[in-house]
Amino acid sequence: MPGIDESLLEAMRLPGARGASLVDWISGLALGAVGEAPGGDPEATAAETAELARHVAESGSLAVGGDGAVPEKEPPVEDLIVTTPDAYHLLRYVSTPFDSTVFLHLWLDRNDGNLALARIRLAELADRLVLG
Amino acid sequence: MTGVTTAWTAHETTSDALGALAREGATGALSGERGIVYLASGRVVHVESAFTPGLGALLTQSGALAPDGWWEAVDGGGTRHRVGDRLVDSGRLAAGALEVCHLGALFDAAYFVLARDSRAHRFRSGAVHWLGAVRSVPVDSVVRESRRRRDLLERIWPDPALDTVPLTRVPDADPADLPARRGRTLTQVDGVRTAADIAAALGCHTYHTLVELRRLAAAGLVTAAPPPPAPAPPGPGAPPVAWDDPDAALLRRLRDALEAL
Repeated sequence: MPGIDESLLEAMRLPGARGASLVDWISGLALGAVGEAPGGDPEATAAETAELARHVAESGSLAVGGDGAVPEKEPPVEDLIVTTPDAYHLLRYVSTPFDSTVFLHLWLDRNDGNLALARIRLAELADRLVLG
Repeated sequence: MTGVTTAWTAHETTSDALGALAREGATGALSGERGIVYLASGRVVHVESAFTPGLGALLTQSGALAPDGWWEAVDGGGTRHRVGDRLVDSGRLAAGALEVCHLGALFDAAYFVLARDSRAHRFRSGAVHWLGAVRSVPVDSVVRESRRRRDLLERIWPDPALDTVPLTRVPDADPADLPARRGRTLTQVDGVRTAADIAAALGCHTYHTLVELRRLAAAGLVTAAPPPPAPAPPGPGAPPVAWDDPDAALLRRLRDALEAL
């Protein structure tokens, strides 16, 4: 059964992967990080991506509303994609059996990366991380 | 290593004492005013605080683990310091889930032990936590993260008193207008409970509850509760005063920990 580091290292095996981390979107804590971080500082990257993830998760327009459509423990968003001229940032919200607010962040080179494949694999990784 | 570690006593704050113990590669438990930090070979392996829910509360209150399953692991692995391994080996919890929950609880408790920079009281050299090894974190990462967390709260709403006093909500505050997590927090604010009480009731991290409460305060929905009116002095023949023991939570956790030994 994979732990945090094994899951992040597996994400790094995706073509074009430059860095991967597991981040808490309320506190901004990086629970784990492997590879490079954009800007060179994994803690600063975690705090910034956490702000984005929190805004979207709390958004009345972008997140699933509190009308009971989604159980309490399910994240209100599945993933976020940010595209820059040379990279993709893929943020995958992790659903846990206990109260938590974490997401996987994969930094992907735009030339070598395959966004569709990365989305599928990151979703699988997120499930295996917490369900075994 | 027994008897070697004395340099930590020269330091004014728990953070500095931890730094000294980390440089010595110490193993043991450092007790402060608000909790206990467990070190193994100079790295932080576990932190406990009476202000934050422990791993067992987080896992059982959410339904991730049945209470029987938790206590079976504690009974079976506690004396050998292998409770975490036992949870994973028995298939009750995925390894990643244990790590996420453990790190969350570790940094949550560390915030309360370290953020106020009080002095450490005691170091028990060689002491090992019954949970056993899950993940370890460098001392300076824990200290840096606790400071960053304090600064984040200050940026949201600079009123540290809200973290410890009973809270009340303004009369027309409606949880339905808020993001789900903030709304759930608001419904627990009743004029009596503190942030730690609310976190315990919700089975979530106390720091995360502080973030929601500061945001609620910034929105003008939550304030510190007025102090309760002073009780009239009991006259002759008055019924005995019922003590509202402020350390009940701590005593309960102490009992649980002793039972787990």
